[in-house]
Amino acid sequence: MSETALSLTQRFKLSRFIRGEAPAAGPVTLNQRRVFILPTRRGLFFVLLILLLLLIGFVYNNNLAYLLGFLLASIFFVTILHSFKSLAGLVVQPGRQQAVFAGQAGPFNFQIANPSSQPRFALALALQTELSLSLAAEQSQTVTLYQVTQRRGWQLPDTLTISSAYPLGLFRAWAPLRFDSPLLVYPKPASQLLPFPESDGGQGKQGQNRRNGDEFYGLRAYQQGDAIRQIHWKAFAKGQGVHSKQYSGASTSELWLDFQSAPGHQLEERLSQLCRWVVDAEQAGLRYGLILPSQRLPPNNGAGHYRQCLQALALF
Amino acid sequence: MSNPLSVRLLLFLLGSIGLITLPHAWHIPPLLFGFFMLMLIWRLLGIWQPKYLPNRIGVFVLMLSGIGLLYTQQHAVFGRDAGTGLFVVALGLKLLEIHGKRDVYVIVYLAFIVAATQFLYEESILMALYILLVCGVLLATLITQNSQAPQTLAALKTSATIILQSLPLALVLFVLFPRLEAPRWSWLDDENHAKSGLSNTLEPGAIAELSLSPELVFRVKFDGDLPPPSQLYWRGPVYANTDGVRWKAPPDLGRENNPDQPVFEGQAYDYTLMMEPQRQRWVFALDMSTQFPTGLRRNGLYQLITNKNPGDRAEYRISSSPAYNTGDISKTERRESLQLPDKPSEKTLELVKQLQGNQTKPEAFIGNLLQYFRQENFHYTLSPEPMPDRPIETFLFERRAGFCSHYATAFVYLLRVAEIPARVVGGYQGGQLNHLGGFLEIRQANAHAWAEAWLEGRGWVRFDPTAAIAPERVEQGVNVDLQIASGAVNFSRVQLDAETLSWLQRSRQLWQSIDYNWQRWIINYDTVNQRAFLQSLGIDNFVKLGYCLLASIGLIGGLLAWRLLRPGRRRSDPALRLYRQFCRKLSKAGIDIAVGDGPNTLAERAKSLRPDLAEQIERITAIFVRLRYESLAQANDLQALKTLIAGLRV
Repeated sequence: MSETALSLTQRFKLSRFIRGEAPAAGPVTLNQRRVFILPTRRGLFFVLLILLLLLIGFVYNNNLAYLLGFLLASIFFVTILHSFKSLAGLVVQPGRQQAVFAGQAGPFNFQIANPSSQPRFALALALQTELSLSLAAEQSQTVTLYQVTQRRGWQLPDTLTISSAYPLGLFRAWAPLRFDSPLLVYPKPASQLLPFPESDGGQGKQGQNRRNGDEFYGLRAYQQGDAIRQIHWKAFAKGQGVHSKQYSGASTSELWLDFQSAPGHQLEERLSQLCRWVVDAEQAGLRYGLILPSQRLPPNNGAGHYRQCLQALALF
Repeated sequence: MSNPLSVRLLLFLLGSIGLITLPHAWHIPPLLFGFFMLMLIWRLLGIWQPKYLPNRIGVFVLMLSGIGLLYTQQHAVFGRDAGTGLFVVALGLKLLEIHGKRDVYVIVYLAFIVAATQFLYEESILMALYILLVCGVLLATLITQNSQAPQTLAALKTSATIILQSLPLALVLFVLFPRLEAPRWSWLDDENHAKSGLSNTLEPGAIAELSLSPELVFRVKFDGDLPPPSQLYWRGPVYANTDGVRWKAPPDLGRENNPDQPVFEGQAYDYTLMMEPQRQRWVFALDMSTQFPTGLRRNGLYQLITNKNPGDRAEYRISSSPAYNTGDISKTERRESLQLPDKPSEKTLELVKQLQGNQTKPEAFIGNLLQYFRQENFHYTLSPEPMPDRPIETFLFERRAGFCSHYATAFVYLLRVAEIPARVVGGYQGGQLNHLGGFLEIRQANAHAWAEAWLEGRGWVRFDPTAAIAPERVEQGVNVDLQIASGAVNFSRVQLDAETLSWLQRSRQLWQSIDYNWQRWIINYDTVNQRAFLQSLGIDNFVKLGYCLLASIGLIGGLLAWRLLRPGRRRSDPALRLYRQFCRKLSKAGIDIAVGDGPNTLAERAKSLRPDLAEQIERITAIFVRLRYESLAQANDLQALKTLIAGLRV
């Protein structure tokens, strides 16, 4: 992938070293522009050690102590190159992200590939969580790192930092990377359990007013789309086949979740409550529709509909 | 602490620590070394039985006992021995508390310091190679620490690579880095590290057996031809004073009591003399030195004296001229050179009278005396019987068997009785030529004593009475190897035949030649050498030196970076390689890939032709397509593809 050239001011911007460059959409190859190297605290003590050896050489006029000091200094120097080599050439790209509810740890997937014929040892990948891995030659691996989500909507990953102290731990090479691979964050479901709204969406049908209708209506053979909760496990355990429990009105009535009728004074409170209802309705296996001021989703159920509703809430 | 250290890492660590400290077994007091070994073994057992490791209080008690041991075993706080002991004990104690990564680093860094202290005791090539190897193991410890994966061998290989890549730059730094002459701090010096060598006194009667030590004293490389062996007299102490039994060198080395400067004639020899560490301050120049570097001076006894510490190995450029005339003699010197402890015995006087005959010329007397040694029944032996009482007369009239000191002292004694100023001179005679290196090695076994007599008009003249009785001793020089091997001295009981001996001698000479160059270019590379070497490169000031340093670091760094970081030749796509294998198998079955065929087209055709393989072909094609054309391939896809294709039977 061709990278755009950086101007001199961009090149020396401090944020490049810590936050990384502007988010990239595609794969990023780690090269001299992306990888930074600084000595670690151990590396600084190593420098002290070298000075001490040279001092011994000086005080005792001992050439071999000098030589050992020079050898260590030279190893220090060569390690810089090895540090760079431990990261250079790696290709990192974002994977597809799975949506979460606000407040949960959002999983971000990245694929990290080692196209070279050299294995890579002890790579540390850090978002908010950290992960350490090794890659064999020509191997690639998908990793999931987590980052706390707070607000609904699209959320970009923070800076992904890939670092390595290989081989000697004297230097840390790191590459801060930002990716344009947003994670969808649904609103945080309200913690309060409220009955489903009575009001309909203007279609005139009465909605289910309790979460799990008490009135058990009967069993029917499992159909695709029935919620797992509805499965009659006892019957299944007795070897009577898979049956779904039917509640009164569940199959016939439709539930309309209306933004206007959701309790709460603030937008977020309402969305949060709607979110909770969507989750509960899906779990109860109800058919539910969603009415937002700008959007109207007709009643339905199943994973696809569920996602559609939550996305509408997240992006409202 | 956070993550426990692996057993392999601990083994690596303890192993390298054991190796790095091992040579100190010969340098530090046994108790201290034992203490260290105890800690090491304790920790080693602790890998498998952690509950037996000492707790905090235990470590504290051990620390106190370690300090106590240090205090009792070493009587100084500073200096080489004390410092080494301190580091070794600290290393041992630190081994008992390895908890986390940090401790590993502390230990490895301490180990590097201990490695450097080894060089304060021994600077041989072998020691340097040994330390280099152990440094490799130490680095491998760090590599194991910083990578989760590699095996022992991989870690060792990586550390070897890093060391090899670092060596060129280390050597450049060694050559170019400005060397400063450190002042010698007396509190850093250790006492009682006596080295053998010629002493200030000579007591021929007491020595029963002359030790033929092969220990090297100095090496000499001549610019041109070698002087003949009969001129290879390396001047050392001058024994002028005697009490009849012992001969003593004047204590004052700095005296200037010769009124005349010596006059030199004939050919002068230029050479480089490299002294091994000595106890005394004599530099054994070829008799007699005419030019020498500023750090040296020639005193009234024509000895070369160094003002610096003789405990350091040092190299000097010297010119000597074997033909000289020292001129007149001062009154004090004459008195000193005629000094006798008491009245000589009647027998001695009689002998002197007999040797003088009716001549009064000293030359005639000396000639008669040498004749006397040759004609009477005198023997040269390296193991004479001790002669504690009146050694000279016992030697002259009873035993008549001895080595150089006996002959030289008896000779001088008789000359003094005959009123001829004379003195005994000590030093070395001869030397063994290293054919490979083209230099002479002078060993303790070459130690020799001869006589000097002052003659009117000629000054001090050298006479070697030993040459009169055993000319081969002087003409051919001592062959230390032969003497040792032939059993003249019992260093080894093995009898060697001539061929083996010469083979041994050759390889020994090769080794000595390597060692000489090692000493010359590595160990003895000092301010003077450096300045001369840099000047020969045209670097004569610090600015140029700085540029040169930067340029070489840049050059070597650039070369290494190019070598290390150039994008390695990408191996062809492994998936494609496997797929080609698949295509070959298909073509064996008669299904050839046509121009423009994609994998799916090929698969369809193959399936229709070989329905029995349809399922396999489909799976292979699916995985290949995923690997090659889709971005999110599974990690084990490649392996699966490999297995499938290998299992395909057409």
